[in-house]
Amino acid sequence: MADASVEETVKQIVTRIVRKPELNFSPEATFKDFDADSLDIVQILVAVEDHYDIEIDDDELQDVQNIGGFLAYIENKIAEKG
Amino acid sequence: MSLEGKVALVTGGSRGIGRVIALKLAEEGVDVIINYFRKKSTARVTCEEIQSKGVRAHAIKANVGEPDKIDAMFDEIESEFGRLDILINNAASGVPRPALKLDDKSWDWTMDINTRAFLLCAQRAAKLMPNGGKMVSVSSLGSRMVMPVYTSVGVSKAALEALTRYLAIELAPLNICVNGVCSSAVETDALKLYVNDPNLPPPAWQTTPAGRMVQPEDIANVVAFLCREESAMIRGQIIVIDGGFSLFPAIFGTEGGSSGA
Repeated sequence: MADASVEETVKQIVTRIVRKPELNFSPEATFKDFDADSLDIVQILVAVEDHYDIEIDDDELQDVQNIGGFLAYIENKIAEKG
Repeated sequence: MSLEGKVALVTGGSRGIGRVIALKLAEEGVDVIINYFRKKSTARVTCEEIQSKGVRAHAIKANVGEPDKIDAMFDEIESEFGRLDILINNAASGVPRPALKLDDKSWDWTMDINTRAFLLCAQRAAKLMPNGGKMVSVSSLGSRMVMPVYTSVGVSKAALEALTRYLAIELAPLNICVNGVCSSAVETDALKLYVNDPNLPPPAWQTTPAGRMVQPEDIANVVAFLCREESAMIRGQIIVIDGGFSLFPAIFGTEGGSSGA
């Protein structure tokens, strides 16, 4: 289960960048479901990095399948930072 | 003529051509601020390399496509260094698509990072150069030659070169020299975005009269020259660094000078 505050923050970032009023931000959803293209995804990653002062490794993201996995990855990065 | 004691900002300075320019300036005694887009770990390594030259290094994360990020970057430069002597506008991005498949978002992304950023950085940098300074833009041959899927970048670089000329004249009374460098394909990670395209022509080194591809060091050497006082009477020029590539059509082979030898 994703941390509620992380989930809400990431949802706000994604909503702002893909410019959609309402997102079905379920764990099974993917960025493709939000019509996010490669530029949107880069902007989302940068915004999340800036917000949490973390570094997201694009290679590590290859294993991330959906929003649930993305949130878990972000939480892990936040925890690593301490 | 030494550049010792100067302070430089190299946008996109953590890797590729920007990194080599940053290291070249550091070798000449310049304190270097590198701007980077995402990878803090890469920027940290480059900072350590810069510091190993005996100068100060500072890294600032900022997407130069966003005006507020540029402002924040210059606020930090002002508080950390108090001034700037050299601006190298190197950061670049792009979406490799042909013209008919380019959407407005891809276009804006490319133009904002490759072209508008130089304008906004120059505006802020000029205020930090009360005694004059140097600005160098980094362009590519896509500004004047047509290359597959390079549309948005090529147009942005053409505009960057035009902007370089305008800034050179408008900033001349402030004793700020503005010039650009323009290179053919350079062997960096960024090139990999384009070389996978089967429509691309043979590798550049096969058609370069100089017999090899341009290396980042070739560009860094010219940039350093344009940062020195000895180049002060060069204004608003775009120096092409391509081993003769753009002058000699590949159809005539690779040895342009040999027929008359």
